[in-house]
Amino acid sequence: MDNLSELFHGFTIAVTVPHLALMVVGVLLGILVGVLPGLGAPNGVSLLLPLTFGMQPVSAIILLSSMYWGALFGGSVTSILFNIPGEPSSVATTFDGYPMARDGRPTTALATAFGSAAFGALIGVILITFLASWVAQVALAFGPPEYFAVYFLAFASFVGMGGAAPIKTVVALAIGFAIAAIGIDTVSGSVRLTMGIDELVKGVNFVVAVMGLFGIGELLVAVEEEFHARAVSSRIDWREVFRAVGRLPRHGVALLRSAAIGCWMGITPGGPTAASFMSYGIARRFSRRGRYFGTGEVEGIISPETADHAAGTSALLPMLSLGIPGSATAAVMMGGLMIWGLNPGPMLFVDQKDFVWGLIASMYVGNIVAVALVLLTVPVFAALMRIPFVIIAPLIVIICVVGAYSVSNSYLDVVMMLGFGIVGYLFKKLFYPLAPLVLAIVIGDKAEDAFRQSMLMSKGSLGIFFANKLVTCLVVAGIALLLLPLVLQLARPFRKTASPDADTPAQEKVII
Amino acid sequence: MISRRALELATAILTGGFGVAVVVQSLDNGIGWSSAGVDSGTFPFLTGVIIVAGSLYNLARGVVPGARLASVPIAITSIELRRLAGLFVPAAIFVAAIPLLGMYLASAIYVFAVLAIPRHQSVLRSAIAAAATALALYVVFERMFQVSLPHGAFAAAFGF
Repeated sequence: MDNLSELFHGFTIAVTVPHLALMVVGVLLGILVGVLPGLGAPNGVSLLLPLTFGMQPVSAIILLSSMYWGALFGGSVTSILFNIPGEPSSVATTFDGYPMARDGRPTTALATAFGSAAFGALIGVILITFLASWVAQVALAFGPPEYFAVYFLAFASFVGMGGAAPIKTVVALAIGFAIAAIGIDTVSGSVRLTMGIDELVKGVNFVVAVMGLFGIGELLVAVEEEFHARAVSSRIDWREVFRAVGRLPRHGVALLRSAAIGCWMGITPGGPTAASFMSYGIARRFSRRGRYFGTGEVEGIISPETADHAAGTSALLPMLSLGIPGSATAAVMMGGLMIWGLNPGPMLFVDQKDFVWGLIASMYVGNIVAVALVLLTVPVFAALMRIPFVIIAPLIVIICVVGAYSVSNSYLDVVMMLGFGIVGYLFKKLFYPLAPLVLAIVIGDKAEDAFRQSMLMSKGSLGIFFANKLVTCLVVAGIALLLLPLVLQLARPFRKTASPDADTPAQEKVII
Repeated sequence: MISRRALELATAILTGGFGVAVVVQSLDNGIGWSSAGVDSGTFPFLTGVIIVAGSLYNLARGVVPGARLASVPIAITSIELRRLAGLFVPAAIFVAAIPLLGMYLASAIYVFAVLAIPRHQSVLRSAIAAAATALALYVVFERMFQVSLPHGAFAAAFGF
């Protein structure tokens, strides 16, 4: 119980008035950058970094990590209210969060998301507290084959769940992979698929694709229907916030499963994005109400949010214990660590006990502060849903345009974003699934790189994916997840032989 | 009025066209899988082939009238088409105007136009909303987070 006494020592450092004030400031700024499109936790943390040079390292890291928590929470707000995910990891939240908000339950959706996110973060911090050193060794065992296996697992758990017409799913997935391949190929250094446009060398950023596909695409679908008879309740119900949080324990299994997926993906550097997609996919497959996923199901919000935050939190573990940043934000923070004169890596736990345990204690307190602040602001955000559509529509267009532009200060991105908007509309209209497309855009090139690096290591033999226990388990689990629905289908006795074609309009509604 | 079939066909042609472009482009990078590793064009080539094949299948499904398509014969009615254009055309003009007018001026005019011209809001309120939008963008992006948005060719001509 060495860790516990260290942790209590950490609390004495973290729970002081100036540090609590820093947490509040950090979280509020974080929520702001999280809500704003095009700005994310990495931007916010980089902008704050210069301010921290004069601070004590502990105070500085508390400010920055609080901002990170705030941004993680803020990113879910736009996903749920406007179907515009601010960060890759909150894409999966839009699938059920937005339908629920649109059906007039924005408060429930937001409160559920924040509550489960807090749970995920808590599990992540507990994991860091107790398993820091052991877990670091697992992450060290990760090479390209293991990376590929993790991505494969994420795809396997998400793709082929049925719902959409299979060929349309395949086309959507393949288009996503092709878009991910645009730009410089990191393995060979050659330029791919630029279609003769030089600017495409930088690739197609996920934010650009997602703003168009989800933001503009959804807007076009929405405007086509009657001018919004949204039954959003006109008064803000504070009790609903607490009721929604109070209902969370009923979904205990989903919470624990998602937290486990999140922690695993955070430590093994699969990252929050893969974690949230995978968690959503698995929940959809194993939940009794899986059929209704995509229409505003509570578990469809809980699963990605819990996994996202569990992964986001536990991603700090490899940064601290190994000096390997698990995410862009962690990389910026690590830069800060070095500027403050600290050396991330195993020696940090020996040399800088006050810093490490102060930080870990501040994660507990910071997340509580973040949840409190963000729950208090739920009614404010929910009120945004009541702004008339004619006003909100141009604002969403501007948000998407500015967001797409500010990713890399490129006008081409804005034009592409608009193009993705049309594609998003067509795909939605014709029931092509968007989720596999986005998943492939986000982690497609990473998966490809990992695969090709593995092939370089093994001289072209696929045997490398069965070379050791870890990678074999991952690959076998992935294949099992792919084949499971097929097996279930075959095992099921022919109960309804006369069921009509797979995608009748009633079922098509369920397709994401 | 656009039928569901026409929309299916158009989308399949769109995706297929993209697939063909991917296949052609990836051939430049070289395809192959040897003991020296996987060439950089291989994966794009495979995805391109899959896109083309899938699009052809979807195209065929669209041409052959099945029970599936018959259930939703009309995809977009003319009223819906007008609503779509009402949203998309101003947005496209807005995007097209950005290089010339800059983000601030373009977004202000855009907000004013979509609120005032269809008479959703009074001219005064539309003008206030337009000014507030531009100001909010400026304060948040240019000032708080130091992200420079395009100022436009006009502003550049006046030395901003």
